Amino acid sequence: MKRKAKTKAARVPITWKEVKRQKFLIICSLIFVIYGIIFYYVPLGGWIMAFENYKPKTGLLGSKFVGLDKFKFLFSDATFIRVIRNTLAMGVLNLVATFVMAILFAILLNEIRFGFGKKLVQTISYMPHFLSWIIVTGILHDALSNSGIVNELLLNFGFVDRAVNFFANKSFFWPIVAFANVWKETGWNAIIYLAAITSIDPSLYEAAAIDGAGRWAKIKHITLPGIKPTIMILLLMNVGNVLNAGFEVQYLLGNGLVKRVSDTIDIYVLTWGISQNDYSLGTAAGIFKSLVAIILIVVANQIAKRSGEQRLF
Amino acid sequence: MKLRKLTALFMSAMMAATMMTGFTASADEGEYSDDEIVTYTMFATMAGSELNDDNEIMDIIAHKLGVRVKETWLTGQTAEEAIGTIIASGDYPDFIDGGDGSKTLYEQDVLVPWDDYLEKYPNLKEMYTDEEWDQFRQDDGHIYWANVFQNTYGEPKTTMHNDEAFWIQARVLEWAGYPEIKTLDQYFDLLESYYEANPTMEDGTPIIPYTVLCEDWKYYCIENAPQFLDGYPNDGSVIVDKTDPSAPKIVDYNTTETAVRYFKKLNEEYAKGMIDGEFATQTYDEYIAKLCTGTVLGLCDQWWDFGYDTNDSFKTQGLDLIGCNYVPLGLTIDEGMDNRWHTYGDTLNVASGVAVTTSCDDPDRAFKFLNDVLDQEIHDLRFWGVEGVDYLVDEDGMYYRTAEMRMQAADSNYQASHLCQYSYLPQWGGTSRDGKNAMMPSDQASEFLDGLAEPLRNCLEAYGAGGYPDMIGSVIEENPPWFPMWSFSNNLSTETPGGVAWTKMREVKQEWLPQVVMSDDFEGTWEQYMEAYNDVNPQDFLDEMQEELNRRAGIE
Repeated sequence: MKRKAKTKAARVPITWKEVKRQKFLIICSLIFVIYGIIFYYVPLGGWIMAFENYKPKTGLLGSKFVGLDKFKFLFSDATFIRVIRNTLAMGVLNLVATFVMAILFAILLNEIRFGFGKKLVQTISYMPHFLSWIIVTGILHDALSNSGIVNELLLNFGFVDRAVNFFANKSFFWPIVAFANVWKETGWNAIIYLAAITSIDPSLYEAAAIDGAGRWAKIKHITLPGIKPTIMILLLMNVGNVLNAGFEVQYLLGNGLVKRVSDTIDIYVLTWGISQNDYSLGTAAGIFKSLVAIILIVVANQIAKRSGEQRLF
Repeated sequence: MKLRKLTALFMSAMMAATMMTGFTASADEGEYSDDEIVTYTMFATMAGSELNDDNEIMDIIAHKLGVRVKETWLTGQTAEEAIGTIIASGDYPDFIDGGDGSKTLYEQDVLVPWDDYLEKYPNLKEMYTDEEWDQFRQDDGHIYWANVFQNTYGEPKTTMHNDEAFWIQARVLEWAGYPEIKTLDQYFDLLESYYEANPTMEDGTPIIPYTVLCEDWKYYCIENAPQFLDGYPNDGSVIVDKTDPSAPKIVDYNTTETAVRYFKKLNEEYAKGMIDGEFATQTYDEYIAKLCTGTVLGLCDQWWDFGYDTNDSFKTQGLDLIGCNYVPLGLTIDEGMDNRWHTYGDTLNVASGVAVTTSCDDPDRAFKFLNDVLDQEIHDLRFWGVEGVDYLVDEDGMYYRTAEMRMQAADSNYQASHLCQYSYLPQWGGTSRDGKNAMMPSDQASEFLDGLAEPLRNCLEAYGAGGYPDMIGSVIEENPPWFPMWSFSNNLSTETPGGVAWTKMREVKQEWLPQVVMSDDFEGTWEQYMEAYNDVNPQDFLDEMQEELNRRAGIE
């Protein structure tokens, strides 16, 4: 503690002179502070809706205040509990799948010595990132349809004797979503790791080679430890995003039959807030989601801190 | 559908170029110059095809009435989501048909009351009787919308069955020698034997014997057949049992013996591979695209939901010549029962209709426009087209079309670039004000018969039917005052226990009905379904329906 206080004191004291000297920097950062207040904090005023029985007609200030009623309804609604489960499950599944695949892919790509092939593969693999979900789900829909390529293969190789309707089966839904995410994002996510790998000092590899390390040993002892800080930071940032398991994919791929496993918190918010016109309930669900995200990220950060790893704050 | 829209856009330029030579829009004949024309926006909670901005008939109408309407339709989202989004954004179109969300719009105070304008504009007033207009009144005593459909001027002319039915391609009936098909079992037996003999189309495309749509609110295709199979009319959400005429009773058709038999039948047929493997997950667009290929032999749906698309598409592809057109069958669960699939007379749907919003800067002009599109001249332009181009008039003043004109009118590119029905604005069915012609070409007797492809005509003749209603052979009777009950359930909101039950019943049914059909163990799955169904308190809903039924029937 003492040492910490000391380091703090060693910083430049805030005096008018100092402020004047840093005028330009302060103005620059002020712009972003104002931006943040307007676009991130002012909209939070809308959270009031969650505590009233909001009707657009009566407005934010004129609607009836109902306290925590909306939250009570939320947590007594079995559907809401179910969408939390779905969101968490798909979020974790997506996180693990895209994360592992991206690292694997980056390392494998890095091992390719043939420059043109490497560039080609990299370019092709990150292209899907730029496709919108509507297109990706369209492709998936076609590929997995009864007359699609997957069923055609299954039928021709005799694995099944009748086309499988993948979207009618509840147990297929989560893996399909995870697969879609992997397909779309692997190449893109790998770029950061590739960049991190290139920043590793080549002399380390040379030294290892002299010590008789093979490819495998180099990956294990140099590449992976080299990108570990990057991995940790990205993991932390993504943990906070677990509840953003998605909206478009589930919305576009889901149907009445698999609703039970496909609906996420975002879809719940849409159904109640927009379709059923209960903005208050939708807002309450949104607040809950934000709170959980904050808790997740703080916890993850603490864990990283305890284990002496790179952390966000 | 989407593809069609795209191609329509793409082709419009080419079409415009070719059209110029043969047809010059009578743009300069109108009373309004280009600067005087205002463009109003309209949103309807239905899937539809957008017209080109330079649509020719739209242009003619704009120059005559000074108003052009840019229609947009539902794409991808549900009706409730679309209305919810519009309300949340506060960005309203000038005209809106809110469908099931109409009541929500009314509650937001964004609709302009019709009352004063009804007195001012006779064509609007003429649409309904005073008693009927009264039914449109909301709890504040005002009228906010008018339904534009199922409204007959003068003599009814209809040759169509616009309602629900089990439909079958004419070629199947022809192949079997036009048998009498009265029950669900006979229907599937016929599909089975036809499919066995003809598993593919001529070009080798596999045939789908039966498909059924389950998407969003259009899952009625799979869920409401039991009411009809039991011989009841389309109350939509419930059966009204009037064995005791003084005390009609609400009956839930989801749990009847007939419902079990119907779904068991579907389950068996699914196991036999007779039902489309994708039926449970297909979207409306996919469904229509599938039907338009002519490979689907049978389905259960409302005519307006698919018939216009399939008819046009069959015509342009020549599939009508091999008998792909659908004819309706009035099936019941057992033989010898009356059926009420066809609704005779107009169905007054007070739950939704076209409305003018407060965003419209000149409501008077908007209402005047709604009034003027009912003028016979404009009405003819909307539905018949331009005289000499889209239809001809014989010495007796009867309208008729040549085969080429019919073909042209069925072409989606032509529909986007030339025809402008304003299909969700006020309109009439029945007889034209000239006392001779039909308001709509499809209702013109000569048009109907001449327009029929050979196989379809043979089929109707074989059954001695003058039109689709004869084909289905429903009981002709006066609609009771409470009919249809769906106009009430459509507007239920989640603020009442019955409304919550209604929403949840729908979710349960959407989840379970396809599973029931696809299950290897029908009894077990049905039991699970019933358990889930009873969990959402359907009785709350039924009670509210009974209350409304009593109100409508005048029982205290």
